[in-house]
Amino acid sequence: MAGGGQAVNARLGSPPRPIEWLIERILVGADSQTVIGDLHEEYVEAVRPRLGRVRADIWYLRQVLSLVPRGVLRQGRMRRALLAASLFTLGSCCWLAVMEWVLRHSGYLFRSAMDVSIAAVPLATVAALLLHVSARAERWLWAGAVALIAVGAQTLIQNTHSPHFEGFVFLISVAITVEGALMLLSLGRSGEGTHRLGRGSS
Amino acid sequence: MVASDIRSGLSSAFEAVIDFCPTHTHNVGMAEFLGTFEQAVLLAIMRLRGDAYGRMILHVVMNSLKRTVSAGAVYTTLDRLESRGLVHSRVDEGTPARGGRPRRYYSVAAAGARALNESHKTLSEMWSGVQWPVEVKR
Repeated sequence: MAGGGQAVNARLGSPPRPIEWLIERILVGADSQTVIGDLHEEYVEAVRPRLGRVRADIWYLRQVLSLVPRGVLRQGRMRRALLAASLFTLGSCCWLAVMEWVLRHSGYLFRSAMDVSIAAVPLATVAALLLHVSARAERWLWAGAVALIAVGAQTLIQNTHSPHFEGFVFLISVAITVEGALMLLSLGRSGEGTHRLGRGSS
Repeated sequence: MVASDIRSGLSSAFEAVIDFCPTHTHNVGMAEFLGTFEQAVLLAIMRLRGDAYGRMILHVVMNSLKRTVSAGAVYTTLDRLESRGLVHSRVDEGTPARGGRPRRYYSVAAAGARALNESHKTLSEMWSGVQWPVEVKR
């Protein structure tokens, strides 16, 4: 009981567990523990006594978020390209869904649902790249990559043969296809070693 | 404060992109180019001597630049300096205050000292003949 009480007391002055979980997902590699230790020490010894719990937690969250670009920069070129393609397709799908709702042409409900469904894949990819996914979740990304290539290629062919060629649709379909291909390559490489998608370099 | 975090994060990310770019020609028969933030980090390591680990470096950099600096900006810069061979690091044991996690101590490498000297020399040459503080006559 006494040991349990000490553990609870030690925990009370520590950074919040959910944010610690987040930083442990964002930071991987040899020096992740040294960085987490530095932030933990600063939180316990300086920030928490000076600012109080709520403001100290906000400070800790800000530091964790400031480490996200570092996590991205430490990834390989292919994964950075995949992240860029994912963010582009995610933004494009959201924009298309909003435009469908604003213009409300016939069949807009189905098309917006399609846009949102497609957006789920780049969203999952971004999450997988920033927070490191488990092998089980990776299987879903394989399926998502194949679906993206199928949807992208089909839209590309359809748009090219259409009498009303649309530049933006062409751009998005190319981006979706490229993203699907990059996902397959990244997943293929991550399967070769012990690294998961978003971990290590490509 | 959040805006300054984003700014410093973007600035270090930008510097890393410039570093990554193959057309960038630092250290090619000319003085090693050091940004202001890189100089601040290197000088912080020199000031701290044997006690230069992430948390302390962050404190000294904030004091010398007199602004809030995010941890991400400091660690990104340390990574870059280490990959350029300007700093060395070693891992040491942790303390209970850090939940037993290890500390990474940094020291300035010979190339880092040379780069700092070059930067100081370049800056001094740029300022030669100009009286400080600079005043504009109306």
